Formats: sequence, C-alpha cells, structure tokens
Amino acid sequence: MRLTLPDRFFDYLPWALATLFVAGIVHIVSVLLTPAVAPRDAYARILAAVGDAPANRLVALPPMAPGVDLLPFEDPALAEAACVYDLSKGLLRVTTNADGEDYLALSFHALAGRIFHAITDRAAIKGKIDIVIGDARQMDALQAATDEAPPQEVRLVAPTKRGFVLVRSLAKRPSDQARARERLTTVVCESVETPKE
Amino acid sequence: MNRPYAKYLRAGSAMIGGLALGLLATAISLNSGYGFNPLRAGPWTAWPAVGGADIDPYARAVIARSGEAPLGRDQGLVFIATDDSSGAPLDGACEYRIVDPMPAARFWTLSLATPMGALIDNPTGRYGFSSVDILRREGGAFEIAVARNARAGNWLSPGEARRFVVALRLYDTPLDTGARADPDSFPRIVKLTCA
Repeated sequence: MRLTLPDRFFDYLPWALATLFVAGIVHIVSVLLTPAVAPRDAYARILAAVGDAPANRLVALPPMAPGVDLLPFEDPALAEAACVYDLSKGLLRVTTNADGEDYLALSFHALAGRIFHAITDRAAIKGKIDIVIGDARQMDALQAATDEAPPQEVRLVAPTKRGFVLVRSLAKRPSDQARARERLTTVVCESVETPKE
Repeated sequence: MNRPYAKYLRAGSAMIGGLALGLLATAISLNSGYGFNPLRAGPWTAWPAVGGADIDPYARAVIARSGEAPLGRDQGLVFIATDDSSGAPLDGACEYRIVDPMPAARFWTLSLATPMGALIDNPTGRYGFSSVDILRREGGAFEIAVARNARAGNWLSPGEARRFVVALRLYDTPLDTGARADPDSFPRIVKLTCA
C-alpha cells in the first residue's frame, strides 16, 4: 500500500516549519530577555527597600510580616540586611566575625539573578569572613599592588558592576529576632579604593 | 492559491502564529517550576541549581519575574510542598499533621506561606518552627499541626488562606543534590479532616 498524502500537505509544510522556527526563536529570546526587563526582580526590590542609602553600605531590611512584600519565599525566621554595591565606586569589602554558633549567611548576587558566591559562617577562616569583590580590572590592580593576600581574605571577580550582597541571620526562636538583627550590625560593608598602578 | 498576495498572507500568519506559539511556550515553561533538575522527595521539591553560579536561563527568568533572592547552594536548600503526602493539594480548610523524620542539617525551619511566597496573616503571629524551638516528645520526635483552629503542641495556622504551601529550609545541609533524595528521610504531611 502506498502512503498517500494530499497535495495540500506539501503546500502547507514549509509554512508550518516556518511557524515553528519563528516560535523557537521567540521562545529563546523571550526567556533570555526576561531577567533584563523584569520590573520587580530581587535587585529592584532591594534597591527600593534600602531607599536613598549610599551604595556599598549595609542596610537592615524591615522585619518580615504579612503584607510586607519585600522578597517572596524568604524564611520568616531570618533577619536580613542588604548591601547594594556599585563597583564603579571602588572595590567592595565585606567583613565579619563568625562565632560558629549562629547561622549567618552571605550571598553575592549579580544582576539578572545569578549568585556568584555564597557562604555561611561555617566557611569562616580563623573566625573571620573577609571578602573583597571587584571587576576583572580592579582585581588585577589589587593583585599587583599587594604581594600576598592576607590568608583569610577571599578575592572574587564580580560578573556585573552592580548587584547586592544579602546577609541572613537566623533567629532560632522568635524571641531571638532582636539578637539576630544585632548580629547583622557586626557585618561591615565598605568601599575600598582601587590601588593605583 | 495563485493569487499574488497569498504568499504574503501565509508569511504573515506564520510570523503571528510563531510569535504566539513562542510566547505561549515561554509562559508555560516559566510557570512550571525553576528550570531543570528538581530534587524531589515525597511531596517536597527543591531546585538546587537556582542557588548556584550555573543557574540556567529558565530559572533566571523565573526568579527575575517573581523577585526572589534564592538561598545559595552552599548555604542550604529550600524544599516547597504544595501537596500532602497522598498527592492532594494543600487546602486551608483541612487539618494536617507534619511528622518526623527530618533530613540532616545544622538548622532547619518549617513555615507556611502563600503559593506566591508571602507570609500568611494568622491569629497566632507565628509563621514557622525551627529545629531549636520546636517542642519534641521524648526521644526527639516531633509533630506539627496545621489547622485553622488552635491545637495543642506545635501549631501553625494557615489563617484564612484557601491555598498555602509548606516551606522546609535546611541550613548547612550535607544533603547530596546530585543523588536522588530518599523520601523516607523527609517529613510526611498527613491530611486528617477537612472542614
């Protein structure tokens, strides 16, 4: 038996393929563009929450409560602070002491939803967390200016010039909230001059 | 179809059809989780790749749209349950019991949220329990009651919400995200009665 297809099929086939081809391109482009055009991504929300505080400074975020629509899917047991950075103003250094008892987490978010570094207090070296981030040029300059980095210092190249560092401190009991918020103030976010070559 | 404008008509409809189809595919894929490789265990689902530097474009699009700042992969894992252990969607009108066991972690918290990830207003003012403040029976076992009305022991209230999700967060967990998770090491969500 011969397979018979109506002539109309071959008439429409190229157009159906063209439709799928266009659909594929539209799909890929729209998925890749979403992070760039999303109006209320985490960066925009945190930027709005810190208000007109200067960049490269740690700002405590308001406590979580129903109706406070800051970041979705955040743990209500956490006290949080954010440091919006802008590397065009110099390197960013984040330092804190870790006592190894309370959960303290630092995550470094680039624009468009990528976490390029995330640690907790357990990763502290000799009880200290000391992280310096900069773009590739600033890092080269820093590397050239200092012969040897201090042993506990972690140096990272940030993928984008802007982004934010989110600091989370766990309140193990609801009554620990105040203590957890206090722990946030021990984290220091500061601008560091890029060394001159 | 020998009319001169027929080809333009077809090209136009291929363009418009392709645009609609492509946007539809994007909408569907962004509404079905966070990209690839979920880690499932019973009713619980986590997306470990979301917190890593190797996050895929779909997951990036999803979190950019929702506004989430995910937990870093080295900081912990967030498991979300939208269904109970029998597979029925969680309903605010029903009463649930969340029972042992719990995977290994330095700390864990278990809390309720709306399907969009916001906290639920409820009369207790409590949104979750942690591994430290939960009341345990002798031997360390625990049980959390999820019900609108007060229950003895560990009680979480979904307030007036009709739909809610349960979020289980494991901080500093040694759980291997590459391997399949053992559902028997995760808490069960058992439905009791419905109002």
